[in-house]
Order: sequence, then structure tokens, then C-alpha cells
Amino acid sequence: MHPTHTIRCLAAAAVLVTAAASARAQDPDVSEETIQFFQLNCASCHTVGGGKLTGPDLKGVAERRERAWIATFVLDPRAVIDGGDPVAQELFRGANGVYMPSVPGLTRDRVEKLIDLLVVESAKERSRFVGLQLSDRALTEADVARGRRLFEGSQPLAGGAPACLSCHTTGAVPGLGGGRLGPDLSDVYARLEGRKPLAAWLAAPPSPTMQPVFKERPLDGEEVLALVAYLADTSAAGGAATPRAGLGFLFAGIGGVLASLVGLDFVWRRRFRAVRRPLVRGTRA
Amino acid sequence: MSDVFLFGVLPYVSLMLFFVVTIQRYRQRKFSYSSLSTQFLENRRHFWASVPFHYGVLAVLAGHVVAFLAPSVVLGWNAAAVRLYALEITGLALGLLTVVGFVATVVRRLGDARLRRVSTRGDWLLYGLLLLQLSSGVAIAYFHGWGSSWFASSATPWLRSLLRLAPDVSYVAPLPWVVKLHFVNAWVLIGFFPFTRLVHVLVVPNMYLWRRPQLVLWNRRERHDAGAAARRAVSA
Repeated sequence: MHPTHTIRCLAAAAVLVTAAASARAQDPDVSEETIQFFQLNCASCHTVGGGKLTGPDLKGVAERRERAWIATFVLDPRAVIDGGDPVAQELFRGANGVYMPSVPGLTRDRVEKLIDLLVVESAKERSRFVGLQLSDRALTEADVARGRRLFEGSQPLAGGAPACLSCHTTGAVPGLGGGRLGPDLSDVYARLEGRKPLAAWLAAPPSPTMQPVFKERPLDGEEVLALVAYLADTSAAGGAATPRAGLGFLFAGIGGVLASLVGLDFVWRRRFRAVRRPLVRGTRA
Repeated sequence: MSDVFLFGVLPYVSLMLFFVVTIQRYRQRKFSYSSLSTQFLENRRHFWASVPFHYGVLAVLAGHVVAFLAPSVVLGWNAAAVRLYALEITGLALGLLTVVGFVATVVRRLGDARLRRVSTRGDWLLYGLLLLQLSSGVAIAYFHGWGSSWFASSATPWLRSLLRLAPDVSYVAPLPWVVKLHFVNAWVLIGFFPFTRLVHVLVVPNMYLWRRPQLVLWNRRERHDAGAAARRAVSA
């Protein structure tokens, strides 16, 4: 085949592939971007046909509510709830007083696409967002122990994510306690209303701090169950982490400074003897 | 939007200033590469300012560099809670040691008329930035521990994305304000670096060990002018 002809054929093929790809991207119902957005930002609190998590099951939501209401609510949930909207108030009570967070990067256009996605998924017998299907087996003491190891970091998470202790603590963490970047998780099991919503949350953490870290290093199903067991155990034991651990850390740091100053004085105890003291004496003479 | 500027644009502006001005200053004013030491014939006070500050800040910076270059090593070390606590207490102690040295430095400079005379507005601005950096760092260590672990998973990926020229601010945008202040002020310090006496860190005087002795004279301009006037008077 002549080289010029080959190049023309390749160019035509490239144009066809590009056109096909862009046609698929423009289809609002099956946009990979919209699916991905829902998975990352919504699926940890909502299912489609999988039952209630922290937020309600969204199967058929476009039939229950007007599109305009959904869009207004999703764009600023706190404002609508605090504004006294009766439906929003009922949802708020149903979520145990947990405000739905405002999702970063959400626009009215994107909300419309998400509603389109929910219409399509609701029509399916089994939606892809039916939720995390974890084992229903009873959680054991071994699960609690494994969850503790995963939380505290002595057993690394398989995906390579940092241990929970980096940013969180519970009343059960000994010593100086856990990290203080994120909230105390002592009662998170009760706060999120139990095993299923907490497991969904852990499977795809939606908080803006955790999402970028965990989207490429998710927890596996067994890790989620172990952590749920551990957090259920701490919740049942009751009691948040005490501020004493933080004060202990501060006093240890101050002790370290004093020890360092004494050490520096000791190491340089002969300073100034050879050169500087005679010079200083000279200036005073 | 401001996050994109502060964490996606400012770092490049600062790095550009750092490299261009540092090189240009060295080419044009080589002998200005100095900390302009004020310690000659100084008493003990300088020891308690300079030594804790320098050893503290060098160790703290080394910790930051290790967490950036080898986050998995730090996370591996922190896998045992006892080791994590030891590392965090050491970091807090070194941060506080740096603050002690820094406060002593500022008190010394403020309390001595001779030192105030040789301090420029740039020096005081630099001190302000350093104070902000040190206090925010210690506040993070105390209020938002354990930074040695979360730095590796939140800050290191952002810094690496900057190196790849594809800044991903999603890692740092949701962090607490004091952490963001620490990051932004660090970039401001890096950009301001070549305009200040901080450049002395680039010319650690290893050559002192083998170079020939130099005689350095440091005269104030007024005295020089007065001397010239006196000479003119004599010649007249």
C-alpha cells in the first residue's frame, strides 16, 4: 500500500473514533462523567433501589418531587432546610439531623444531568447504584480486633490508604489518642444509624478531605466490615476521646524543648573560651 | 477559585521568583549573599537565639522534605502508635524549640539600638512571615495532629501534582484554614526568599575550611562621607 494512502486511512479512522467518542459523551443519560460524579459524591449516602442509607433511597425521586424543587434543594440543602420547607424538614428529621452537604463543583446543569441519570437508573430492575452489597454475617470479636488494627495502623489497609488514626480518634484509642484533623468517630456508628449507612460511607467516603485520598485507594469489603465492627464496639462502649491526650502531647513537647535547651548548653559548654571571651574582655578593658 | 490561585498558581509564581531572582542576585551582587551577621563580640544572648532557632528549623525542614520525598517510609514508621507518638512529640518539640530561638532573636534585635540600626524593613517583613509560618506550624501540630501521617496522603500528592505541572488542588482545598495558611505562607516565603538575608542558606561556608583569610570592612555610608569631607577639608 502507498504510504500516503495508509496515512489517509489512519486519519479517517481517527476522525471516526473521535466522532463516536464525542457522540457518546454528549448523551446525557449515559455520560460516564455523570455516573462517576454520582458514584463519588452521592452513592455513599443514597442508593437507587437499595434502601435508605443516611439519605433516602432515590428510586423514582423524579416522580415524587418536581425537578425544580430537587435542583434547588441539592444545590444548597442547608438553606432549603433552614428556610422551613416542610418536605426538606421531614427529610432532615429522617436523616437523624444530619445536613446533606453542599457538593463542590455542583451546577444547575449538572443537577439536571444527575436527575436524568436517576430517571434512567430508576427504570432499571436493578440499578448500578443499588448500593454496596456487603455480607450480612454477624460481626465477631475477631472483626472488632481486626478493625482496631486497621484503625490504628498496625495492620495496613490493602489499597494503600493511610490508617484512620492519621486524622481521627475514638474513645478507645490508648496513649495520646488519634489524629485531630477529622472528627472524633467514637459515636459515628450511632450517628449514621448503624451498619449499612456506615459501611456505604466507608466504601466511598464523600467528605471533600477524604474523597481525593480514597478514590484511588478504596477499602475492600472485609476491611469495611471490620471497621464497622470496631466503630460499633466503640459506640456501644460510649465516651468520646478526652482532651487529656492533647494536653499530654503538649507537655511532652514542652519537655522536649527544655531537654533540648539543656542539651545544647551542655554540648557548647566550652563556647567562647578560646577566641571570643578574650576579645570581649578586650573591648571592656 | 481562590484555592486554584493559592494552591495552583501561586506556587509557580513563587518558584519562578525564587530561581530567577536568586540567580540574578548572585550574578549581579555576589557579596550580598550573607546573613549579615550581627554576632561579633556578642554575648550569651545570641547563643540562645541563634542555636535553638537554626537547629530547630533545620530539623523541622528535614522532616518536611522526608515526608515529601518518601511518604511511604513515614507512613510505615507511623504504623506503630508508639513510633507515631515519638515522631509527633519530636516534631512538636523541635517546632517549639524553633519558636523559642526565633522569639529570642526578635527580642534581641528589638532590644538593642545598634541592631535596630542595621535592621531593614525587609528584615522585619521577613520576621513577620517567619513568625506566621512557625506559629501556624506549631498550631497545626497541636490542633490538627497527626500531620506526619496526613501530610503524606494530603499534601504530598498535591506537591507532586505541582511537579507534574498538573496541579490538583482537591487534596488541599478542604483542609482547615490554619493548614492552608501554612501552605500559602510557605510559598510567599519561597518567593520572598531571594530578596532577603535568607539567601545565606545557599552559601553554607564550607570553603572556610580551606580558603585564604579575608579581611572584611563594613562601614556606614555617613562615616564614609564624613571621612571624605574631612579629607577634603585637610587638602584645602
